[in-house]
Amino acid sequence: MQSKKTAFIALMAVVLTVGALWLTNRAVTPKQAAWDDVLAEAKAGGYRIITTEELSARYRKDSGGLLLVDTRQEWEYRTGHIRGAALFPMEPTAWSRWRKAPALETFLGPDKNRTIVFY
Amino acid sequence: MAVKLGFKNVYRDPYGYPEWQGRGLPIDSAPAGLAQTSEEPKTPGPLSGWAMIWTLLGIFAGGMALNLTPCVYPLIPITVSYFGGQATKEGEGRGTLVVHGLCYMLGLALTNSLLGVVASLTGGLMGGMLQNPIVLMIVAAVLVFFSTSLFGLWEMRLPSGLTQAAVKSYTGYFGSVFMGLTLGVVAAPCIGPFVLGLLTWVAGMGSPWLGFVIFFTLSLGLGLPLFLLAMFSGQLKKLPRSGGWMIWVRMLMGWILVGMAAHFIRPLLPGHGGTILVALVALAAGLHLGWIDKSQANFRAFPWVKGGAGIACLVLAAFLLTSWALQGAGVSWRPYTEETMKEARNLKKPVIIDFYATWCTPCVELDEVTFHDPLVVKQAESDFIMVKVDVTKAGNPLNERLLQEYGIKGVPTIVFLDTDGKERRDLRLVDYLPPDQFLGRMAGIKKNEK
Repeated sequence: MQSKKTAFIALMAVVLTVGALWLTNRAVTPKQAAWDDVLAEAKAGGYRIITTEELSARYRKDSGGLLLVDTRQEWEYRTGHIRGAALFPMEPTAWSRWRKAPALETFLGPDKNRTIVFY
Repeated sequence: MAVKLGFKNVYRDPYGYPEWQGRGLPIDSAPAGLAQTSEEPKTPGPLSGWAMIWTLLGIFAGGMALNLTPCVYPLIPITVSYFGGQATKEGEGRGTLVVHGLCYMLGLALTNSLLGVVASLTGGLMGGMLQNPIVLMIVAAVLVFFSTSLFGLWEMRLPSGLTQAAVKSYTGYFGSVFMGLTLGVVAAPCIGPFVLGLLTWVAGMGSPWLGFVIFFTLSLGLGLPLFLLAMFSGQLKKLPRSGGWMIWVRMLMGWILVGMAAHFIRPLLPGHGGTILVALVALAAGLHLGWIDKSQANFRAFPWVKGGAGIACLVLAAFLLTSWALQGAGVSWRPYTEETMKEARNLKKPVIIDFYATWCTPCVELDEVTFHDPLVVKQAESDFIMVKVDVTKAGNPLNERLLQEYGIKGVPTIVFLDTDGKERRDLRLVDYLPPDQFLGRMAGIKKNEK
């Protein structure tokens, strides 16, 4: 009886490990995002979409009041980024989103009304 | 995500940088940091930072677990009552008891640390031999050999004279130090294989300081339970009685040695053989310790401990296998031929040549991590010609010529050639590099082409 119980627990633990690994390492965003996916994602996340055109207009008008956040990887940022943008690398996995939330909060600063543009 | 944190004016530009750059809007770049690890890598010791702390914690736990083996466990009441006797003889209280306990631990630490330092010094003489596949095989074989003793296939015995001298008791503080000194001798049949296995490992690292630290930690783990029990002698009765469960603990130590052996020969196995081997060992250990072994104990927590250990091993195996399965395809390599080089020049693609050997740990790491990174693979497929040169065996005339031509001093060496077939010396790599930094180098050579 005892060994049956532990065998069951072991099976559960193994399944849990495999599942957790798969969940956290799987990409949250589709590989080639279509425009509709982008819009749906924005709606789910509660943020707005800005086109590059609009962004550049705002950027020219008032680049100081705008916080540009580069979410790509460090090597991408290093080879070229929008002038004035700050780097905050994010991997598109659930694990990364969960782990980096507190760091992002300090990174963005205390002003909650600030205009922030991620790219 | 920022919205959840309470920010209100959050936007995202899904086209982002490429479009921005395409319109000629102001950009910046910071190519600095590329030259950081070019030539002459700094080699951090085999253990540093967190790895060190975890290793020491593991060894401490191992030391504590050694107390539960059949040679040491029955000695605990004797040792503790000995302390008690010493203390009452001198007619003093708890203070003396503490000092006796400390003396005992000191003695224990002295023998063990000395062993550790000597082993690592002899290992240091061997120098870089740990990179040698034969040495790796021997170390692994020794570890497995000792593990069979822990599984109960043979018994380690010391000359009886030595054991006799060791069990003789002396009085006073020196007596306690002496008891600690000789615990290793008395308990050799159980501790010996594990300690010798650990010694082989320390010898491989070749650092006397590490040898000392590791064995000092082991002694602390070994001595601490005795010390605490001596402090609270009244608790002695609550200890579970000796029994078959101690054999189980011995087997656990045996599996730890087998695991270490598997870890050692990992770089020798081609491809992912190493990871699979470690996973298989964990699987076997889990099944054996958790279910196949029928040791019984006369206390109720034992089945839980057993099941827990078995489950932990199975989870480790599942973790290794899943991470391996989730890893996508790697870079597809080509052998070095004149045609490949000509093709690269015709296609105006830069070439990356990886000089590697199967036994070299950083090469394997590069292959397993960096060259399996999805982004690196994508870049490599579209914009690069990837060439691999295996220099494990000497004597191949083509390889000899290439080593000469590019001035390769060791492995791994990764050479970046631009579209004209000229080497970019500033990008050359002679150590492991994580994927993000490797991508930086790939981008570095591509930018110069534009």
